[in-house]
Amino acid sequence: MRPSFFHHLHPPTIPAAQARWRYTLGAGGTAIFLMLVLGLTGILEMFYYVPNPDQAALSVQTITYLVPFGGLVRNLHYWAAQLLLVVVAIHLLRVIFTAAYSQPRSFNYLLGLALFVLSVLFDFTGYILRWDIDVCWPLVTGTNLLKTIPLIGDFLFRIAVGGGQACSTALLRFYTWHIFGLTIVVTILAIWHAFRVRRDGGIAVPPPQLRRENARISRDELVRREVLAMFVVGIALILLASFIPAPIAPAMTGKPNLTAEARAPWFFLWIQQMLKWGDPFLWGVLVPLGMLAVLALVPYVFPKPAESEVGRWFPKSNRLAQMVVSLIVLIIIALTLFSLIPV
Amino acid sequence: MKKILTIASGFLLFTLALVWWLDSRQVHPVALIPTLTGQPEYCLTCHADLPEISPSHPVKTFGCVICHGGERLALDADLAHSSMRGEANPSDLSVVEASCGGSACHSGSAADERDHIQRVLTSVQSTYAGAIASIRYTFGAQPDLKAYFGIAAITDEQTQTGITSLAAFDPTSANNPSIQKFGENCLTCHLHTRPREGLAYERQTGCAACHATAEHTFSTAIPYTQCNACHNRGNYDLQTMTFVERSDQSIKRIDNYYQPIAQFTQCEYTLDCVDCHTRIEVMGDGDIHANQKSIEYVQCKTCHGTPTELPLTKTLTDPNDIAFRLALLNPVVDLKLGETILVTEKGEPLWNTRVLPGGSYELIGKATQQYFIFRPVMGSGCTQNGQDQSSAYCHECHAVER
Repeated sequence: MRPSFFHHLHPPTIPAAQARWRYTLGAGGTAIFLMLVLGLTGILEMFYYVPNPDQAALSVQTITYLVPFGGLVRNLHYWAAQLLLVVVAIHLLRVIFTAAYSQPRSFNYLLGLALFVLSVLFDFTGYILRWDIDVCWPLVTGTNLLKTIPLIGDFLFRIAVGGGQACSTALLRFYTWHIFGLTIVVTILAIWHAFRVRRDGGIAVPPPQLRRENARISRDELVRREVLAMFVVGIALILLASFIPAPIAPAMTGKPNLTAEARAPWFFLWIQQMLKWGDPFLWGVLVPLGMLAVLALVPYVFPKPAESEVGRWFPKSNRLAQMVVSLIVLIIIALTLFSLIPV
Repeated sequence: MKKILTIASGFLLFTLALVWWLDSRQVHPVALIPTLTGQPEYCLTCHADLPEISPSHPVKTFGCVICHGGERLALDADLAHSSMRGEANPSDLSVVEASCGGSACHSGSAADERDHIQRVLTSVQSTYAGAIASIRYTFGAQPDLKAYFGIAAITDEQTQTGITSLAAFDPTSANNPSIQKFGENCLTCHLHTRPREGLAYERQTGCAACHATAEHTFSTAIPYTQCNACHNRGNYDLQTMTFVERSDQSIKRIDNYYQPIAQFTQCEYTLDCVDCHTRIEVMGDGDIHANQKSIEYVQCKTCHGTPTELPLTKTLTDPNDIAFRLALLNPVVDLKLGETILVTEKGEPLWNTRVLPGGSYELIGKATQQYFIFRPVMGSGCTQNGQDQSSAYCHECHAVER
């Protein structure tokens, strides 16, 4: 029987060892699923959301309280977005700690890293679309960081904000990026990323002669596992969305709400903490970009993992890369936790 | 694997059923589109059982948000109430302009008699200027009894009293410990502030201090008990600068009524405070006054006249006369064009009075709706010296006993 479209997207068989949950954690597939959920719930929200500074926050309240199941759709969108950042981070770490980035997969690794950065930008632009009193300060801070970049800073600021005052003019631009600009780029890169997985020979494994086991599973079994993962993640999303509502606040007044709790979204808390240390360009732009550069250089600068160890957790041959990345992750987590301690 | 998938599908279906059940428990939104704003509000979803606040502020016209603020579309209490003005009291003086203001409402022009907010903010009940000046003078912080400080800083460019501004009184910066104690113990009876703890002191702040006669109710029929919350709670001991609560609570009106001095007449406890004390006296005339004495002017003669003069009257010929508006707000009388009422020396209409044919007058209590007929002093057996209108003269003969 000829496979359906969805079955055909998958290779006929894949190695059983690398198909285990405890190997991949299902992170990459879950990321795709979450992106689909985000796209669907996002489109549903577009029927009611108004990207106009006077009406945006009110339209969010309309969706949340007055549209049938609108609150559920919005909460699903919110939780899928936050889970996506966690899942893509897990996926990135999985790829590094299983040395799955070595050639010929290095370019795909860079595609994935780009997708990771774009996911963060997606979350930030979406967060801004709430246009309520809690987002003005992070918007001003984030866009002002662009201004600190020498030579091109003012230009980047004008592209991002479209005017002088972020809290008056940036809404339509952020809406366009979130709905269209980022979506097109992410869609192309995500499809390319998934295609490259198959083009590069499927999931990372040692060459046949160095493999420990030769068992394989069929594409039908793989699809069944993916469906199971989608069910589990779906159930988790629905439960989260039903019991923990997305943040909501009164409409923005055009001035930052400078309370003691004024803070960045959770995924930027680590940058907020670093900004307390001094020069915003250094701590807000250079250091985060530096960390990104280190991650991007992992397949190129660090010692190459041995072929026999690819496709296993914590291989010995890329210990240095593992330690450096662990350090970066621990620093980010520590900074995030520190920022949550009340002043 | 197939078995696991079946079980997972079962869980998913259960979760969907849970979602459906949670949705069925949601409150049904109740929309209100007030005619003044044209924008839907959903406050009534939870607050449908609140009484209409007053006949002149019907909810169908005003809605809730125009006075209270708040998030009109929210059905979650925390969000809905988060941007409310003044918590449960939008007439608190810190937010009164945003809630009750506007040129068509209560911060319009004096000519339209719509300048209530400006008048109240400069009134002695808000500024407490007299009490502050007295204490500061008594304890040597200022050389005279002029008003320099008020509870809040206020300015009045078009002053008729010569006082153009008051600075905010800060008792903590006073050198004299008595003035500091005054600040700690004695500043709970002005319109800006919350009252002391205790059932007897309970009142709102701002406009609601006088006008909120019941839960979510405005009235101009203000009974004396409303004034008692500040004016009849006890006395001060200036030596120790403490407040001494009264120990003689009573339900009998004659005992419970506030009397500034021991002697008082019958009308001074059977009428309510608002039957004599006019709008200018209570809410101010828009100017900063140094003390209570300089704004209060109503006397016995205002209604009763003197041996040589009848009380001042006015025949209502203008249908837009403020007297009709006041009578409409508190319809204890059915005032008609052409009728003659008493007026005060400053022209304030005593709209709940009428001149009767035959030379006597009638008054209907604003809060009690009691009916009184009284005669002027002129032509009676009164032996008062017409030049001396101090109340001691009237009390001499007309005082009643507790």
